[in-house]
Amino acid sequence: MTTALTTPDSSLQAPRAGTDLLRIVRINEEIKQVVAVSFKINIMALNAIFLAKRAGTTALGFGVLSNELRAFSQDLRTCMETLSGLIHEGVDEVSLMLQDLRFNRLLREAAELAPQSRASAVLDNRDTAFGRREEHLAAVRRQLRRALDDTFRMVELGGVLAKSAKIEAAYGQGFAGALAQVSGEFDGIVEEIRTSLESLRRSAFFTG
Amino acid sequence: MKTTRTIFQQGNHKWVAIVRDPKRPGYLVDTNEYLVTHGGEGMLLDPGGSEIFPAVFSALSAEFDPSALTAIFASHQDPDICSSLALWLEFNPGLRCYVSWLWESFIPHFGGNAQTFVALPDAGQEIPLAGLPLQAVPAHYLHSSGNFNLYDKTAKILFSGDIGAALLPPGEDRLYVEDFASHIGHAEGFHRRWMGSNEAKRRWCERVSRLEIEQLCPQHGAIYRGADVQRFINWFDELPVGIVND
Ligand SMILES: [Fe+2]
Ligand SMILES: [Fe+2]
Repeated sequence: MTTALTTPDSSLQAPRAGTDLLRIVRINEEIKQVVAVSFKINIMALNAIFLAKRAGTTALGFGVLSNELRAFSQDLRTCMETLSGLIHEGVDEVSLMLQDLRFNRLLREAAELAPQSRASAVLDNRDTAFGRREEHLAAVRRQLRRALDDTFRMVELGGVLAKSAKIEAAYGQGFAGALAQVSGEFDGIVEEIRTSLESLRRSAFFTG
Repeated sequence: MKTTRTIFQQGNHKWVAIVRDPKRPGYLVDTNEYLVTHGGEGMLLDPGGSEIFPAVFSALSAEFDPSALTAIFASHQDPDICSSLALWLEFNPGLRCYVSWLWESFIPHFGGNAQTFVALPDAGQEIPLAGLPLQAVPAHYLHSSGNFNLYDKTAKILFSGDIGAALLPPGEDRLYVEDFASHIGHAEGFHRRWMGSNEAKRRWCERVSRLEIEQLCPQHGAIYRGADVQRFINWFDELPVGIVND
């Protein structure tokens, strides 16, 4: 019997790739939402800077923090671009694997029915190529997990900044109300992103 | 696994019908594939859908080296005609697929690349197989709007694609039509509903009546031979098509 015929049964691999595709599609949807929310943060950070400028010397502390929040929102955007890129790579790979699995199943049946034919050799090549796809997907999975961890840490830092801004807002005298509102909204959004990222990290796509 | 039946042989010039698969699931329409070989080269006519690839491949392998297939003739674009294309290309990535120009950019959805396809003009053309002249005969709108038959004047065989097709009940799996009158009952509904144009049908009947045909080989059902060939053409000529009660 050739190696092609003893490699793992594609009928077992197919549900795995199918489940992976469903999970990665769900992650993709969640990341799209986080990306959309992150975009709001950019605008909020700009608002905070304008408000701090108007408040001038009455909100110096808030002014410093608003610049930090702006830097944070830009870093967050870069993180989101990385996450989007990786998730697309993952979706591509899993969908190609699903297509391969179908072809390999048909070639495996052909090789079993015609053991003397070249079907086994063709299947061997395809199995090798499939193995490479699996390795690539595993690498994407690891990179994605790391990128999520990095983003999560950064968002936690953003949360600290937002909370400090809330405290500084109290010293803003006549602007205190407006500053409290901006920093409160900022804090709310950061918390929203943090919760989403936390659930993403727990996805079965990473935990198996 | 399907069975192979040699329906013509003269030296290394051969026609092999790949037919009937007892293991085929009932929800897949039964198809006939035909292999033409000449001078060590092979052309597969309407290689079939991807789900039946293993059965066709194994039957063909018993007769012929699949890597020596140099061409695929696709009568039209349906999935039961050529959705297995990508799998055949695994055995000879250089093989060419002859198909109506209408489908040149549609069939690549089943596989192949820019080099794979040879677009047939509406009037048809000669397709040589290791020096054997085969002729793509226009059969447009019967049923597909870009549709060809393949004629081998040496073997006097016309591969007619969906024309002449019969959806036979289980158990009726003879290679040749034995009793035209009872057979045609299984072909009538299909021809009425699938064939799109009475005008096109008229022209096809005139065109193929001028050819010398000993066997008319459809992609579904039994082969018409001898007097049944003209019987079929006459029957088809009379049949009103392209009408649906919706
Ligand atoms: Fe068809
Ligand atoms: Fe058909």
